[in-house]
Amino acid sequence: MTSPHTGAQGSHAPGAEPADISLADRVALLGGSVDRAVGRGLARITGSAIAPYQTAVIRIGFSLTWLLFLLREWPHRSELYGPDSPWSFDLAKRLIASNHAFTVLMWSDSRAWFEIVYTVAILSALMLLLGWRTRTASLLFMIGVLSMENRSVFMGDGGDNVIHIMAIYLAFVRCGQVWSLDRRRAVRTAAVEKGGAPAGDADPVGVALWVLLGAALVAASVAGKLTTGWGLIFWGCWVGQALWWAARRYAPGEPRTVLEMIGNVVHGGALLVIAGEVCLIYSTAGWYKIQGSRWQDGTAPYYPLHLDDFTPWPALSHALAGNDVMIMLICYGTVIVQVAFPFTLFNRRVKNVLLAAMMLEHVSIAITLGLPFFSLAMIAADAVFLPTAFLRWAGDRLVRLVGPRRVPAAVVGEGQPAPEAVPPAPTPQGPAVDPA
Amino acid sequence: MDSVEGPEGPPPRVGALSLPSRIAVALTVGCVAVGALYHLGMVFLHVAPSNTLSKEHATAVSDYIYPEFEQNWKLFAPDPLQQNIHVQARADVLEPDGSRQTTGWVDLTAIDIAAMRHNPFPSHTQQNELRRAWGFYTDTHDTTERATAGDRSDLSRTYLLQIVEKRFGPTLNGGKVTRVQVRSATTPVAQPPWITGGAAQSTDYRVLPWWDVNTGSASTASTDPSAVPTTIPSAVPSTQPSAAPSAAAPVPSSTPSSGQENAS
Repeated sequence: MTSPHTGAQGSHAPGAEPADISLADRVALLGGSVDRAVGRGLARITGSAIAPYQTAVIRIGFSLTWLLFLLREWPHRSELYGPDSPWSFDLAKRLIASNHAFTVLMWSDSRAWFEIVYTVAILSALMLLLGWRTRTASLLFMIGVLSMENRSVFMGDGGDNVIHIMAIYLAFVRCGQVWSLDRRRAVRTAAVEKGGAPAGDADPVGVALWVLLGAALVAASVAGKLTTGWGLIFWGCWVGQALWWAARRYAPGEPRTVLEMIGNVVHGGALLVIAGEVCLIYSTAGWYKIQGSRWQDGTAPYYPLHLDDFTPWPALSHALAGNDVMIMLICYGTVIVQVAFPFTLFNRRVKNVLLAAMMLEHVSIAITLGLPFFSLAMIAADAVFLPTAFLRWAGDRLVRLVGPRRVPAAVVGEGQPAPEAVPPAPTPQGPAVDPA
Repeated sequence: MDSVEGPEGPPPRVGALSLPSRIAVALTVGCVAVGALYHLGMVFLHVAPSNTLSKEHATAVSDYIYPEFEQNWKLFAPDPLQQNIHVQARADVLEPDGSRQTTGWVDLTAIDIAAMRHNPFPSHTQQNELRRAWGFYTDTHDTTERATAGDRSDLSRTYLLQIVEKRFGPTLNGGKVTRVQVRSATTPVAQPPWITGGAAQSTDYRVLPWWDVNTGSASTASTDPSAVPTTIPSAVPSTQPSAAPSAAAPVPSSTPSSGQENAS
């Protein structure tokens, strides 16, 4: 403790090593390194669609969850979202008139229309799962999800809520770069082009799909079914597809690079939103638990294990609930993990341990509380934080395990050292395969 | 830009683009960054506990969030539900001979629970439909069954009525269903055995008024497994409802009553 005037800077300045460097120089140096860091970051988010494996795994996760859900509810589909629902067309119309939610199921109360929409929702989930025409699939998937859930909002639970939000985010993510049919086609096209064929094939299937969806869009617009906002979004996507197709076919130089970069930047932003959303889900789930006296006294998990709606296996639930130490550990463990999770993102190892813990907890929730689709959706959301090395290892193992006969695809996949080495996809709907 | 095409080429660099292209990319980066952060900020204010900022900007937040980004992550929080709520219903039926009869109470929730037992994939129709419809009703009505949320109250009432209508079908006990009555049976979950001083558990009933069946929209007989058997014991005076009625044997009950009744 010297004089009150001796601040940290004051005491260091005289003896500091680079005493000859002026403040202005230091600022300039700092500015330079910030510039370089910004430059590197910019190059990264514009030059490629980041995190190809993570975005592919959430694409597969959410589409699989929704697909399995729609198939499971097939016998109940009309009671949930169709003409036999106690949440009748009239009730849905009254609620939607006040909240303006988007659902194509309100376009007609006929059974045929409902069956068409439900079937298209299943097909689009399958499209997205396989990564066939990923951009188009993600948009159709979103329409399917919003249509069902907004039609009968009181049928849903937390799992539906997760899928609802993520379906919107996925539409902005180039999530078909790996583990997709789009990727396989891109690799094949690249091989053909290397052999001397002209770049940017005409892609008749893509054009046909584009024309078909354009016709549907015209019909919906003429019938006055689309609000201005949704109309702009859908027409924008449709025009974007055409631009993308034209650029890759007729302007493979700078115009295409710019479109590519814009796609990559939007992808990066959406991925940031997805990661932030998952953190917010866990944070708030944790924060609200901390406020509850049952979570404080270590008995909270005991109660759901005795709720009739969430005990498909009463013997298992009651045995679990009977173990006081176990209940206490689950109780505090859940709160600690949920509150801590966002902060562990700064440390890879701790983050991975917590990720494994959360996935395990969701698996047990799926079984004990009878919430398989909620749990699967949450596991899919968690997967966005899985490390690339693990995802690639797991992907290779899975390919070897399930597809010994599909050698060509596997070889093509393994022959590519990294997704960054994949050429751009050849179609307007094309996968978000990055050029670099 | 041949390097862009080749699988081994380096990533395209913004610096290598023409000025208009660089401006376009820079604008996109700016808009996306602002948009993503704005979105996350709005979602944060929506899901976080009500606070200074979210109160100040309540309208802006809800305008942005609703309807598509609505979310709620209070999963079993702040405290998990600590009571089992069963929705039960009964009907007044008009017999072919012109006589009227009141059926016993049917535990609709118990029927759902029976369908979910040992099922690894319970349907939303069993797990959510009745539970959330009842939650919607209680959120929009006070304990004297007066509407507190305008049109939403009416929506919730109609929804609950239509669920009961669908499950009962147009005829019960050989007669035509003319009106139905709903009640909830709420039984607290017994406190954990290692906690001392757990109170004795009893079931509380909240009985709603009789509602006329809307014959116009009443469904045809449902084939769905959650439908109630078409024969239900009629009302037997002075029989107390048991605390845990089973689905297979719907509980006959006393005469129509209002207010709460307790069974020990």
